[in-house]
Amino acid sequence: MSLNIEQAFKLSPTYRLQWEEAQNMFVLLYPEGLIELNQSSAEILQVCDGQNTQANIVTLLEKKFSVSGLEGDINNFLNTALGNGWITQSA
Amino acid sequence: MAGSLKAPSPPRWLLAELTYSCPLQCPYCSNPLDYTNFSKELNTEEWKRVLKQSREMGAVQLGFSGGEPLVRKDLTELVRYSHDLGYYINLITSGYNMDEARIIELKEAGLDHIQISLQASSKELNDFIAGTESFEHKKIVAKLIKKHGYPMVLCVVLHRENIHQMKDILEMAIELGADFVELANTQYYGWAHHNRDQLMPTQEQLKKAEAIAEEYQKSQAGKMKIYYVIPDYYENRPKACMNGWGTTFLTIAPDGLALPCHSARQLPNFDCPSVRDHSISEIWNESNAFNYFRGDDWMKEPCRSCPEKDKDFGGCHCQAFLLTGDATNADPVCDLSPHHNVVIEAIEQAAAPSEKPLVFRNSKNSKAL
Repeated sequence: MSLNIEQAFKLSPTYRLQWEEAQNMFVLLYPEGLIELNQSSAEILQVCDGQNTQANIVTLLEKKFSVSGLEGDINNFLNTALGNGWITQSA
Repeated sequence: MAGSLKAPSPPRWLLAELTYSCPLQCPYCSNPLDYTNFSKELNTEEWKRVLKQSREMGAVQLGFSGGEPLVRKDLTELVRYSHDLGYYINLITSGYNMDEARIIELKEAGLDHIQISLQASSKELNDFIAGTESFEHKKIVAKLIKKHGYPMVLCVVLHRENIHQMKDILEMAIELGADFVELANTQYYGWAHHNRDQLMPTQEQLKKAEAIAEEYQKSQAGKMKIYYVIPDYYENRPKACMNGWGTTFLTIAPDGLALPCHSARQLPNFDCPSVRDHSISEIWNESNAFNYFRGDDWMKEPCRSCPEKDKDFGGCHCQAFLLTGDATNADPVCDLSPHHNVVIEAIEQAAAPSEKPLVFRNSKNSKAL
């Protein structure tokens, strides 16, 4: 499954993104499984809300953290997340 | 010991074994042989206290298991309470006696996922292994689980009697719409250990089955995830049991005993603490049982100087006890263990034809053993 630049991303229905106070981090929850997320992964997944395309996500996060050049890292993560079935794309 | 100097990582996984009661009689059950001795189950309020304290500690994955958790009349109430606490809730069930009304009720209460077990891909074998007529009903329940929008894991425990059905089992999983399939080779604890000679597959059976599982893993990629739980007697390194003792998993048995591994109650002189006497925080951070195998100060050779000790933590301590009589020995599945011969002998013994019948898991047999 490869990334489509025109389609928005959303979290797959079998996954749940949740802030965990005790661990001080976001986690991704699914049947009998748990993925502990670092900050950048969590930032990307939070904007996979069914509205944002790849370009939107890059713009949003570069603006939020006042940096540039995030596109490569974001693409890598989106490809991994798609491949693992954490997120899906729809027109 | 080194492990007790710094605070242990918090529990992430709580396995709540609500009851040892079960309408099925599977001879590979991992429950203790003497389960009928522990019949004083925690009540609803005691379970709520466990759920709240564990959540405060950091547990977020919750499994309701047993025995058969559907037997508990307060299951929906406990699911609702756990959902409000923010758990991701897994129900691990045989599906027996489940109907559409209960599936809907649990969904509304906040249940996230259902793992349903089948014993085989044919009615005759399923009902023989389960000791109870259940095959057609389980398939109906599996379809209802999907109808109501749950993610579904289909679990099939593999052993000598059903492993030849691998292809049919996977086709059945596709037909039932499973999102995940767990092909779990029998782990030899409890009843399964007692029935080991009758359950252990041959190397040849395993090779065939693994090839089929791999083929389906490829063809189903992106559609249905297939987990294959390895048969550890045939490996040359042990499993990283429980992701390391007292690092991730907390099991609470039906009578309130807190276990670092669900087989730990069989370890002699181990004094697993009870939630009736202690808070979860005391149990997790301070009890001898949970601290015992943290870190590596407890290790003997060959584990102590082994470069792989941080990978498998010496394997499974309950298996070391069952097979060598000493839980601080290396898991004898490891071919570096001086006791590895007991695993080889177990495989050879199981390969020889045996007239012994399977002993089914039920109260009558539990009291007789």
